[in-house]
Amino acid sequence: MRRAISRNIALVSAIFIVVFSTMLITNYFQVSGSQTIQSELLEGLRQINEESGGNLQLQEQIRELDLLARKAYFISLNRLRTGVVILLVMVVAFAVSLQVYFAKSRDIPDKEIDPIDDWLTKSRTRKYIVRSAGALAVCGLLFAILTSPYMRTERSETVAYADEYEYESQMPEEALAMTAEPESQSIASDPETTETAVAAAADPATTETVAAADTIQVSRVTHNAFRGNNSLGHSSATKIPTSWDPASGRNILWRVPVSRQGYNSPVINGNRVFFTGADEEARELYCYDLTTGKELWRLAARNIPGSPAQVPETTDDTGLAASTVATDGVRVCAIFATGDVICADMDGNRLWAKNIGVPSNRYGYASSLLIFGNSLIIQYDNSNSPRVISLDLETGNQRWVRERPQKIAWSSPIIAYVNRRPQLILMGDPNIISYNPNTGEENWRVECMLSGEAATSPAFSNGVVYAASEYAVIIAIDAETGTVLWRDNDILPDTSSPVATPNDVFVATHYGLFARYDAKTGEITKTMELNSEFYASPMIVEGKIYLVGTDGRVFILSARSDFSLINSFDTGERTYATPAFTDNKIVIKTEDSIYCVSSL
Amino acid sequence: MLVPMAIFAQHRFPQPDFESGYVYPERHYFTPAEPFWSYADVAMLVLLMGFVAWAVIRRQVRWPVILVSVISVAYFGFMRAACVCSIGGVQNVALGLVSSSYTIPLFVLLMFTLPIIFTLFFGRVFCAGVCPFGALQELVNVRNYRLSKTVTSVLGVFPWVYLGLAVLFAVTNSRFIICKFDPFVGIFRLGGELPLLLFGVALLVLSIFVGRPFCRFICPYGAILSLFSRVSFMRVKITKKECINCQLCHNACPVDAIRPPYENKVKESRSAGVNRILRYIILLPLVTVAGAVIMYMLSDRLSKVNSDVRLYDMVVQNETRPMEVQPLELQTFYGHGKTVEELAAEVAEINKAFRIWSIVIGAFIGLVIALTLIGLSTKRTRRFYEIDDANCVSCGRCFGYCPQNQLNKK
Repeated sequence: MRRAISRNIALVSAIFIVVFSTMLITNYFQVSGSQTIQSELLEGLRQINEESGGNLQLQEQIRELDLLARKAYFISLNRLRTGVVILLVMVVAFAVSLQVYFAKSRDIPDKEIDPIDDWLTKSRTRKYIVRSAGALAVCGLLFAILTSPYMRTERSETVAYADEYEYESQMPEEALAMTAEPESQSIASDPETTETAVAAAADPATTETVAAADTIQVSRVTHNAFRGNNSLGHSSATKIPTSWDPASGRNILWRVPVSRQGYNSPVINGNRVFFTGADEEARELYCYDLTTGKELWRLAARNIPGSPAQVPETTDDTGLAASTVATDGVRVCAIFATGDVICADMDGNRLWAKNIGVPSNRYGYASSLLIFGNSLIIQYDNSNSPRVISLDLETGNQRWVRERPQKIAWSSPIIAYVNRRPQLILMGDPNIISYNPNTGEENWRVECMLSGEAATSPAFSNGVVYAASEYAVIIAIDAETGTVLWRDNDILPDTSSPVATPNDVFVATHYGLFARYDAKTGEITKTMELNSEFYASPMIVEGKIYLVGTDGRVFILSARSDFSLINSFDTGERTYATPAFTDNKIVIKTEDSIYCVSSL
Repeated sequence: MLVPMAIFAQHRFPQPDFESGYVYPERHYFTPAEPFWSYADVAMLVLLMGFVAWAVIRRQVRWPVILVSVISVAYFGFMRAACVCSIGGVQNVALGLVSSSYTIPLFVLLMFTLPIIFTLFFGRVFCAGVCPFGALQELVNVRNYRLSKTVTSVLGVFPWVYLGLAVLFAVTNSRFIICKFDPFVGIFRLGGELPLLLFGVALLVLSIFVGRPFCRFICPYGAILSLFSRVSFMRVKITKKECINCQLCHNACPVDAIRPPYENKVKESRSAGVNRILRYIILLPLVTVAGAVIMYMLSDRLSKVNSDVRLYDMVVQNETRPMEVQPLELQTFYGHGKTVEELAAEVAEINKAFRIWSIVIGAFIGLVIALTLIGLSTKRTRRFYEIDDANCVSCGRCFGYCPQNQLNKK
């Protein structure tokens, strides 16, 4: 009787356990899978709240919804916990009834599964232990041998980096990091397959598979922002032409007129060239094929909540699209003088867009964007609320924002690796401030731009930040401590940003003088009268300085100790934009057109 | 047994993100091993082990073991959340012995040493039912399906290997793998990582039909206790009367720790047997060195378990080719202020420690294998069923099966 009861209890509890645990597991996955408080509705409302700049009624509504979602979450969690306790009780009932049921069942002797002779068992065990140990040893050895190339690769990359640093002592650290990129890769020439090829190229292991008969070579050296990667004025591109002529077409791969005007500079990533253009009718982001010059897509910044109905007034030499775009090879972001920020994928699909407030700026907003990791950095120095903003690159949501004690500026941010730690350096009026790009925390600040207008961007090399602005100062700051190393106010740039190497700082003025400062002492070591006006910033590539005047004259100078003029020629087109570089190619944007110089 | 599966929901819950002036309450954390509970744990440990020792050695009864098992599962398991346990204490002791910067808490030291001391005197009374892991398996065990002695002997080497690896990762301050991969802690805490919970549930389901699989084939602390149990002063006996070789106890033992009578039936010459043992003794240093060499070759891979080594790899990768999205580890590293050179120097020290300790642990594993082979080459005649003191967990199940003990009761 007792046995029968325990058997029945065991059966019932077993069925209950199976059914109930299935329900609980299902419930668990429902609870864990649901993003209760990150629902689309809440996210949408939050975004509207951010864009509207703080609607108290809306915030109250969001708070109520948020509280409701949290309550729902915890109620479901409590239910789950209660269910587990009930299940636990049933498991105990099952275990006890099972024990009672089998209490009288003795383990009677059954057939021996081992040989009667213990010695035989031992002999067999010895054999299996030897074999198992041998197999494990072989597996261990094979694993150690087969994985050793991968272990070596990791270390050798580091060594290579260090060696290269010693060898190329003239090059700044960040530029060296870029030279670790492979020289080139195969990519399909068909625009439709370009994306696949670029995606594949991101993985070095798949690079070889992309090579096909109908392929062209596209460099992996990128130019992801204004003045190159991290906006430092250096490029690791190689085989760059030193002469070209748009009129005759010599060394010109393609040349196309631009749809809408803009003083922004082009950027290059893979086989794509990005830039923007704007007028009163539209503000657009363009993507061109680097190889053919064909327009791949264009994306208009429209239907953006908070975007002004009337575009703000800007001067002719600034316009609505003076800010250069930034890309990370997956997304590309652009900003316009209306405060509209748009982000698209490599196919031109809009990922997100928002208006961060119309900047109050007497000439027009001109600071360029910069991407650091998964953050989009925006220097938003205007007369209303100067600040630096970090947006999540994926969603456009705000990651952090810092109010800036600045006046209006047209400068652009740079990323400097100091002791291999990144610093976000922003130049403004009157401070140069270093931030932690991950958190926005301030590292140091130097008040030095006490007069003039901050339109240039800082330079960085060998742990020192250099900044120069007309009517103010040229200054060298230890990026580790924020200590001023030297300052001078002799030859200063107006719009063209300085560029630095460990030994020299180069400055191009708007009145045509090109000067070299000693990076360590601040002494002017050489000047060169180029008789041109410079808005575009100098770029250092392959030990040469590439500089384009507003009149279209190109100057190529040695960035090494001799500092000589290598070549100079006239392209005949007014140019304000800084050229973009990749292996074998330069993309130059003029007032009316964009063209690609190629040595191939 | 499916209980814990449903409640491993421990989400990271984002805080409300409005700047409304709301002040977040100050966070309070449980103080680990509060003094009172530490004393209570030690007292309970001693009390329960003493009770089991009295029951299995003096009285030869099993019911106290069941009672202690229930208490242990309730107290050490569910109430104290299976931490600190003697099994994991191995790692604290190992780290404390090599690291001058780590002091072993007295409570942890007691939790580690007391079961060993009791084992030295009374056999593995800790395993009987005081250890919540053993107790849990004991309570759910219903039938004992015997496994081949060959299989159990081969699997019996694994706890030593696991012990070696646990010590290696502990002394290099990398990870306490015994705690990390504890299959039962998730059950006791009603939450944990899904794979480990599934593993724990699978072990418990197996325990219904096979006696204590965790204790026999995984537990590294059991391996240590088995050494002391071999030389314990007082030992568990099946019966105080003469064995009648009825075989009932042999079938009842859930951990196959009762050796049947054995008469040397294999007519191997004495010289052949001696030669075999001599061969193994000669091989012993070779196997030991081979173990050391293999582990040395694997030391670089093993060092990846260390979080600093992994971080350094990430930093090197990021420095060589900056990542699109920086993981939290990198953001923390760059925001913390430590330089890559400092990290590289630390990692070099860790790798050096790994190389040295891998040699030691590899040699240890090789030694265990060689000694196991030598042990399997010896012959000893037995006339009656005898307890294998190393493997006996003092569960007392054999007492009730022995007809001689029943006779005694009558």
